[in-house]
Amino acid sequence: MDLEKLLSVQEKCINDNPPACNTECPIHIDIKGLILEIRKGNFEEAYRILKKRMPFTNIIGLICNHPCEAYCVTNVEGKAISIHELEKAVVIYGGNAKIKTLPIPKNYKKIAVIGGGISGITCASDLNQKGYSVDIFEKENSIGGSLLKVSEEILEKKQLQEEIIKLEALGIEINLNYEVTTESLEAILEEYDAVFLGTGIWKQKFNINEVTMQTEIEKVFVGGSIVNEQESDIQSVYTGRLAAVSIDRFVQKKSLTALRGKEGAYKSILHIDVDNEKISPRVEPQNTTFTKEEAINEALRCVECECHKCVKACVHLQKEKLDPKAYIRTINQNERIILGDHSANKTINSCTECGLCGAVCPVSINMAEIINETRISMVSKDKMPISAHDFALKDMEFTNSSYFELVKHEPGKNNSNYVFYPGCQLSASYPEYVAKVYDYLMEKLDGGVGLYLGCCGAPAKWAGKEEQFNSSIEKINVNLEKLGNPVVITACSTCFNNFGENIKDIKIKSLWEIFDENGIPSDAKLGNGKVLAIHDACTTRKEKIIHESIRNIAKRLDYKIEEPEFTRETTKCCGYGGLVYFANKEFSKEVTENRIQESENDYLAYCAMCRDLFVLKGKRTYHILDLIYGNAEISDITVPTLSERRANRFKLKKKMLKNLWGEDMEIKDEYEDLKIIIDDKIKEKMEDELILEIDIKKVIGYAEKTKNSFFDPESEHILAWRRLVNVTFWVEYKKDKDTFIIINAYSHRMEVTGV
Amino acid sequence: MKQDNDNKKIKWLCSKCGGPLQEGPVKAEYLGGNFEIELLECPVCKNVLITEELAAGQMLEVEKSLEDK
Repeated sequence: MDLEKLLSVQEKCINDNPPACNTECPIHIDIKGLILEIRKGNFEEAYRILKKRMPFTNIIGLICNHPCEAYCVTNVEGKAISIHELEKAVVIYGGNAKIKTLPIPKNYKKIAVIGGGISGITCASDLNQKGYSVDIFEKENSIGGSLLKVSEEILEKKQLQEEIIKLEALGIEINLNYEVTTESLEAILEEYDAVFLGTGIWKQKFNINEVTMQTEIEKVFVGGSIVNEQESDIQSVYTGRLAAVSIDRFVQKKSLTALRGKEGAYKSILHIDVDNEKISPRVEPQNTTFTKEEAINEALRCVECECHKCVKACVHLQKEKLDPKAYIRTINQNERIILGDHSANKTINSCTECGLCGAVCPVSINMAEIINETRISMVSKDKMPISAHDFALKDMEFTNSSYFELVKHEPGKNNSNYVFYPGCQLSASYPEYVAKVYDYLMEKLDGGVGLYLGCCGAPAKWAGKEEQFNSSIEKINVNLEKLGNPVVITACSTCFNNFGENIKDIKIKSLWEIFDENGIPSDAKLGNGKVLAIHDACTTRKEKIIHESIRNIAKRLDYKIEEPEFTRETTKCCGYGGLVYFANKEFSKEVTENRIQESENDYLAYCAMCRDLFVLKGKRTYHILDLIYGNAEISDITVPTLSERRANRFKLKKKMLKNLWGEDMEIKDEYEDLKIIIDDKIKEKMEDELILEIDIKKVIGYAEKTKNSFFDPESEHILAWRRLVNVTFWVEYKKDKDTFIIINAYSHRMEVTGV
Repeated sequence: MKQDNDNKKIKWLCSKCGGPLQEGPVKAEYLGGNFEIELLECPVCKNVLITEELAAGQMLEVEKSLEDK
């Protein structure tokens, strides 16, 4: 797959973006990280996180006016996480954390900081950390500026003194009682490489560049309340820091403006939905500050903002512990490996390609498209494991062969305004309904309704067999042209999708829309208000008309509809999609389980495979055609085996040909008439291992003819084998007159080539 | 890959000649990978028996790992 394209998708993913508490903090403290450490009771680590971004942590941590809290996603009815109280707790309980510092090489450039308020000392400290020689000039007899006015209850003078001593220890020279005026500034400008003005007020008015804090005197940068009289303490920290970055760049003769987009508060692009989260009220400190325990409990209220909407919705991403970014990395590695195992093949073949991730993603990253392209790439490089899709592809070949394929005008007519395309799975699960629907359509619609039995090519598409899919679509296109380009009426949403997306100018309608428009047969039984949980087929995700038609039909038949959490455009896959049913059967069952636990009520589906998989897992499920034509109790509905599915398709064609067009169809499979008896346990095993009854007959018939088998005289069992295309099938059986009782069946792909 | 035939009474006889089976080296191939396996075979008719234990066990594992190469 195209690496550039993969990387561009990866970059779109917003999950790594910081949450609002971080982005709205003018100095971008990793509040989520800090809270996660508090949860673990690790206040010292939390302090290290705080100190990374916050200068004078022991002061600012106590006085910050916390603009972050207003933007916290839990800020509903005053329930925002008490970030400031937590920050204070971190200063109190984690302040003794040992922090490694590396000696900074001096660069011998001199900076003057005029005014020792918050912005000034921030700028001084930041520049000192970059190796500058910094001198502070303060007109009062102590530095601290507005910090000196903070009440003792919040900030003790002693604490402030401790921090000031640290500044001096770092080598910053502090000149107290030193007032700099407009006049004396000239001399300072001469002596220093740059000047920071953080005096609160200054006689001369400056034009200030808001991005760089530079004034029209290029050596002079400003910060603090000179910039904005109303500036808060944390904002002063920010402007002091902003100026420090600019001064450094200025002195180093670098661009002052490049890449400065994310300094200061900005809006987080994460979309966090807390509608379904239960947010408990704030933990209130018993005293003036949190105890450790109170802090931990408050930290536990944090919802840990992250996007991951896709992961939260998709069982596959959860199971593989992948998000789109990690998934793309995995695909990329898998695609590039030359020597060694393609260890992600199974993962890639376990995506149902249902597109739910794309539907819930705020930036519409649809992994289904990426997975499909990846599968195409694997096939093109001959790296697709054969066994993953072999059975489904052979089934498609059967369905598009003379066993099932049929293209006809309505009996007695030479043209078709419409053509009914029931699809391969409805014909396999409900051949009798297909016949009834066709009668209905012929009765209701004018201008001739043709019949087209076949497969839309979905298995080839899901398997990444691009060529096979395209030629299958091309063949359908040609057949539709021969019919005079009628309106195609599909019963299966996958056919609907594949045709709509791949056949240019096709006129297409879902069968459900036809029922909705033309009325439901009058003998349909009514539901008497029974509640059914609706399951939209994942291939209808974007088909609002189909969603509506199905609901209308059900309501008209007096059923009440329950919408599960994931419905319509955010519906979930039944477990069949993407051929996962064949490529990773175990996981396919988990997908089914995940879907059917969404409601206690009986389900209503309108895709034969969805219905069949739900029923196989014990969920009582109607197909919409069960509501229209069915008579059976919901609990009596059964699911055909893989062998029966093929036989049903074949018999449907035969029956339709005979009943409607008076034509006989004679195709016989080798050893088809062999009489075999298979108990339920073996049948189940055969379903799991994808062994058909016809395979078994072919093995036995051949062994009986050639005597190529083994024999156990004691039990009188015979063990026979036969290679059919690329699989060797083994059957253990016992003869009872002209009948064969199947004892066991298994298969392998490896071929014995010589003795 | 080896078929575990030790300690098991071999119940199968060759249907063709009625003779007993013996262990012997057999060549097998999958996706270009060639193997020699000790399997039960009829020394006369050369028919080879692959048990379910092998087919669903080690053989399947080898098949899967070759498919992922």
